[in-house]
Amino acid sequence: MSEAVHELKPGGTQAHDVSAGAAPPSPQVLARFCAAVGEKNCIREKEQLRTYESDGLASFRATPGVVLLPATTEEVVACVRIAREAGLPIVARGSGTGLSGGALPIPGCALIGLSRMRKILEVDYDNAFMRVQPGVINLDVSKLISGQGWYYAPDPSSQSVCSIGGNVAENSGGAHCLKYGFTVNHVLGVRLVLGDGSVQDLGGPVLDQPGYDLTGVVVGSEGMLGIVTEVTLRILRKPEAVKTFFATFPSTTEAGNAVSAIIASGIVPAAIEMMDTLAIVAAKAATGLDWPEVGAALLMDVDGPSAECEHTSAVAVDLSRKAGALEIRVPRDAAERDLMWKGRKSAFAAVGRISRNYLVQDGVIPRSAIAQVLSEIAALSAKAGLRVANVFHAGDGNLHPLVLYDARVPGEEKRAEEVSGDILRICLRFGGSITGEHGVGAEKAPYMAEMFTGTDLETMGFMRCAFDPLAQFNPGKVFPTPRLCGDKPGKYTPHPTELSGEAQRV
Amino acid sequence: MIDLRPRTIEEAQALLAEGGRRLAFVGGGTAMARPQNVEAILYTGGLNRIVEYAATDQVVVAEAGVTLRALQEELGKHGQRLALEAPAADRATLGGMVAANSFGPLRTRYGSVRDLIIGVSILRADGARAKGGGKVVKTVAGFDLPKLMCGSRGTLGMMATVTFRVHPVPEESVTVAARGLPAAGVFELVRKLRTLQLEPAAALAVRKPGGWEVALRFEGFQAGVVQQRQKLPELEDAPATLWDEHLAHRGPVRFGALLTRLPQIDAAFPAEVPLSWYPTLGLGFAGGAANARAALAALGGWLVAEGDWGPPPASLPLHQAMKARLDPDRLLAPGSFAGGI
Repeated sequence: MSEAVHELKPGGTQAHDVSAGAAPPSPQVLARFCAAVGEKNCIREKEQLRTYESDGLASFRATPGVVLLPATTEEVVACVRIAREAGLPIVARGSGTGLSGGALPIPGCALIGLSRMRKILEVDYDNAFMRVQPGVINLDVSKLISGQGWYYAPDPSSQSVCSIGGNVAENSGGAHCLKYGFTVNHVLGVRLVLGDGSVQDLGGPVLDQPGYDLTGVVVGSEGMLGIVTEVTLRILRKPEAVKTFFATFPSTTEAGNAVSAIIASGIVPAAIEMMDTLAIVAAKAATGLDWPEVGAALLMDVDGPSAECEHTSAVAVDLSRKAGALEIRVPRDAAERDLMWKGRKSAFAAVGRISRNYLVQDGVIPRSAIAQVLSEIAALSAKAGLRVANVFHAGDGNLHPLVLYDARVPGEEKRAEEVSGDILRICLRFGGSITGEHGVGAEKAPYMAEMFTGTDLETMGFMRCAFDPLAQFNPGKVFPTPRLCGDKPGKYTPHPTELSGEAQRV
Repeated sequence: MIDLRPRTIEEAQALLAEGGRRLAFVGGGTAMARPQNVEAILYTGGLNRIVEYAATDQVVVAEAGVTLRALQEELGKHGQRLALEAPAADRATLGGMVAANSFGPLRTRYGSVRDLIIGVSILRADGARAKGGGKVVKTVAGFDLPKLMCGSRGTLGMMATVTFRVHPVPEESVTVAARGLPAAGVFELVRKLRTLQLEPAAALAVRKPGGWEVALRFEGFQAGVVQQRQKLPELEDAPATLWDEHLAHRGPVRFGALLTRLPQIDAAFPAEVPLSWYPTLGLGFAGGAANARAALAALGGWLVAEGDWGPPPASLPLHQAMKARLDPDRLLAPGSFAGGI
């Protein structure tokens, strides 16, 4: 992972850290926080605070004023109330695995870590839902219900460590969202603590309750609306069969054509993943898999009724051959299948074995543009003299190019950032998105202005203001310029920071 | 009452920008009662263009006034469909379906509007045009405006264009039915589907004089459909027309409760009231008897009759705040939504 650091200082000049940060909490405020959660869950020492200075986007760092680890909704409420009275920004954090800096502290903020809230509150198989606290680990949900033949569909690559609360904040996806959708399609309701300390229950196991779909707004809101302290999840009965195959191709062009042909045939794969040579090499280095070092590989799952799986996998294999597949491998058993998927899911970390530093990108393009976009990325890579590994969810056009560099070489990091940013601009040019699953966070806020108009962002700002009119939660994230709510849209008194040109109103 | 009939999004925008009048948006007029205390009705039927259809990407962008049937005809040329249903498909518009959260039994497999919409552009009360989501099936950039619009009944803005994910038309489709079940037997059948790991695309239970009748539709490639059919030998073949008949007659009262609560719901509605239930979703439709609301509420469920939302939603102030931010002067269908919004 990159060692270069963007220090975010109070009032710093970092273009995308627009929240000025806060003066650290006073001793009196710290004492109140510590009384609320208990001394050992109230982290104040500078050295300990460092643990929390970044999330999975390790190149961005800022020091929180205090880290609080509440165990109950009531403790979260107490923390929020104290922070509000002290005028401190609040940043929520799950497992800290996010890749866009969503849990990056605001300097001096109260960082609320939900990792102690790990209770499974209810499992109701008959009605197909469960209720969990936000610190529960994604994979643990499926593990818990697996014995009864059920599972929870969203499976981000980090699922063995990432938390449900973090998934809710980022609307996490995963390899299998092509068929099954994202976190938002599997969250039925949330309990949310607002900035005024009130506790709101939105949605729930009964569908379509009267009112706006506020659950749908909270999921993916990147911690900017409040703090989620309970989540109701939809759980699914496992499919009867899963068929996996691995196919190699001379280049990503043939692999991309195979993906298009499979989708055009009417198959909705549970997952269809593509890796290019560099990614294959990295995955091999990390897992010991005997994958050949070819131009591209596809890893595909179909699931459902057994006869349908037999049919769709046979058709997909046939279409892959016709598209120019070099070799098709079908795992002999579940263990081999798991190993193949491990190779895919460990691909990001694996790149660390072949490069000292790298940047992970997350962009989306229309599936049909894969070949064109990859050739443009290759051209960017050649021009910058930096290798780019490509791992992606090919079925939904979600690219994860990894830009490899060596931070010790002067100028390389800057060039890597430029290549990574230019990849997003290519995605936008093809009608895509700047993020498919990692979120905007701190990292991509500047690109929001390239994807959305001022009116789009203003409208999203209204949505945020409905929940958090004082902009206490995670300020400085998502929006390219800081936004204040005012009392009422259209009728307001300018905030001092507006007059000074530091902030724009929504 | 003034009728406004814009032919383009720009014309609609100009009409809204004039401001100062309370108005309601009407698409096909199939799903929602017209709000009473408005000064104008803006008909969206003139916005009837399919803006972009990328069949290979299985994504379609259409103006809000396109009817469901017109869209399905276009998609059908490429062997695709929008996996959403609504009564009166020849009149129901896409914008109206999003606003009303329209769905039919296909929701069993494909989810509702919120699961199929990937982008939206809206006209706000002040005429400003804003978009959210995107044109790719996967995007998490920005707040989820498309989800907010689902079921918002024209109280936050007017849909200008909607972008949907579409699906291939299945190769094979088979409808089967079980008849004369007691109310508790409906969930027992759901349990059986789970045990057998069957995946119906549509599931529907209808109360008949002789008990509950459950219809299931299996869709997909032929091999999978045949296999699933064979695993339920005790169910009889049923005509595929029953699905459209259900949509046409399912009744205007909607309700929701946990899947396992059907026996209590059955008892709460007088026997003469037509009753339909989506047994894997916990959603139902009734031909009347809004007075079953108390019984539904006691089960943790809800009931909405047209124009009568019942008790305000939990977290009402948050819903009100959303309305106040997006429509501060309460111009859009005021008072017509849940909680008096």
